Amino acid sequence: MTLTLIFALGEADYGLEIDAIQEIIEDPPLHYVPRASGSLIGAINFHGQVLAVIDLPGLLGFSSEKRDHRQLVLTPRCKSLVLTVSNIQKIVQLDLATLQPPPANSESGAIRGVASLDEMKINLLDTDKVINQLRNPPT
Amino acid sequence: MRIEISYKFIIGFLVVVVSGLVVNLAVPYLQIAPEFQQIFTVACSLVVGLIIGAVFSRMFTANIRRLTSAGDQISRGDLSEDIQLRTSRFPDETSDLAISMNHIQESLRTLVGDIRGIAFKIASSAQNLSSTSQQMSSSAHDVARTVDQISKGAETQAEMVEESNRLFKDVAISINLVATAAGKVAESANQTVETAKSGSELAGASLASIRQVLAEAESSSQQMFNFIGQLQRISKFVEVINGIAQKTNLLALNATIEAARAGEYGRGFAVVAEEIRKLADSTTTSADEITALVEAIRAEGQLVQSSMGQVIEEMESGRSAVDRTNQAFSMITQNAEITRSKSSSIAELAEQQISSAEQISRAIDEIDKVVSDNAAATEQVSAATQEQSASMQELAQSAMGLSTLSESMLEVVKQFKLAREEPGL
Repeated sequence: MTLTLIFALGEADYGLEIDAIQEIIEDPPLHYVPRASGSLIGAINFHGQVLAVIDLPGLLGFSSEKRDHRQLVLTPRCKSLVLTVSNIQKIVQLDLATLQPPPANSESGAIRGVASLDEMKINLLDTDKVINQLRNPPT
Repeated sequence: MRIEISYKFIIGFLVVVVSGLVVNLAVPYLQIAPEFQQIFTVACSLVVGLIIGAVFSRMFTANIRRLTSAGDQISRGDLSEDIQLRTSRFPDETSDLAISMNHIQESLRTLVGDIRGIAFKIASSAQNLSSTSQQMSSSAHDVARTVDQISKGAETQAEMVEESNRLFKDVAISINLVATAAGKVAESANQTVETAKSGSELAGASLASIRQVLAEAESSSQQMFNFIGQLQRISKFVEVINGIAQKTNLLALNATIEAARAGEYGRGFAVVAEEIRKLADSTTTSADEITALVEAIRAEGQLVQSSMGQVIEEMESGRSAVDRTNQAFSMITQNAEITRSKSSSIAELAEQQISSAEQISRAIDEIDKVVSDNAAATEQVSAATQEQSASMQELAQSAMGLSTLSESMLEVVKQFKLAREEPGL
């Protein structure tokens, strides 16, 4: 059993283990980063640290219109990245034993697997794979 | 020397006697046988007597014959010659007779001349009279024609007067109708004025009510506005509450994360954080419900306000309509007042016209009488003119007769010859 934050990306529900989350922040002042490319949409000041803000839906090929005013600050283990997501809902206990591998035709390789919670299907996000994607953006 | 015939005979006798005596005395001195002396004397006396007798008788009979022929001439009408006897040294009664006859002839001549002149004058006068009477007759004809025309004119006039009278009576009836109608109009106008006044009062009352309702509606609208303002304040409070709930939710999430990081020590805290999160969620739900409710109320309020605005607009238009109605009523009142006064004056005028019409009718009756009198007089004149014309014709005939008479008189007088030098007269 692991605590997982549930949010949405596009039409699907996603989850992220809270071990990877440093803090949830609300509407930090976003600074424009010159010559930034890809999913980097700016930078924020987080307790004196400058952290890069990544457009996760954009990175994973979703529409980034319904961006939540809250962002997720990842732990230093996860490179202290700031991720924008849609519709942060709640923190639930997710049974990783029910985790099933992602479907073969999954649009991105950023998912560890799909967990079931009541009637919901939760795509559990794999931060390492996200970071990998950031390092090697798909062409 | 004038010697009467008897004296002439006596003288002749005496001459015979004297000649017998002279011869008787002279015979002895003549160589005549005595036996023949007696015879001779007688013979001489006879001769002397015969001679004297012959001379006497010749002279006498000549005068008588001349006188007789002169008388014949006169009796034939020839008055041209005076009777001229042989001039004698011893005129006698024949000369007197001749002179007397000459006098007679002279008198006759004068008489005939006078008669002829008078006859001429009569003839010319008769002709004048005839022509004058003819002229008069024609004038009388003209007069008769004219009088006839006048008579016809008088008839036409009478007919026209009758027609006028009839028409005028119709006019009088019409005027009466007009007067009645004008009276009715005045009455109607009066009623209209009354109705319009009460209508105007009603409109005024409506206007006052509308104004009151309008004021109330406006204050209601203001209250609704205030109410919506209050609702907005509630919305702001709800927003604040919502923000607090969001913050609380965020704090609960972060607390959960922190609690998880604290491991076994944070377990209780995690439960508290979860409870706080639930409270924040229910707060958010309630706040959302309040917001929805406030939104619904606000929408309703806006609907009410817009309805109120429509009501106010309609009330305004109603008010202006009532205003116009009021104005229309006052216009109607004014017009009806004017109509009333005008119809009253029409009625008065019609009354005056009726009395004038009666006077005119009387005058027309008078005219009718006069025209009738005129017609009668004209007929009398016509009759008189006809009589005159007849008299004129008679007069003309008389003048013609007179002319004829004078002509025949002239004819008669023409038989008298007055002088040789003027036989035509």
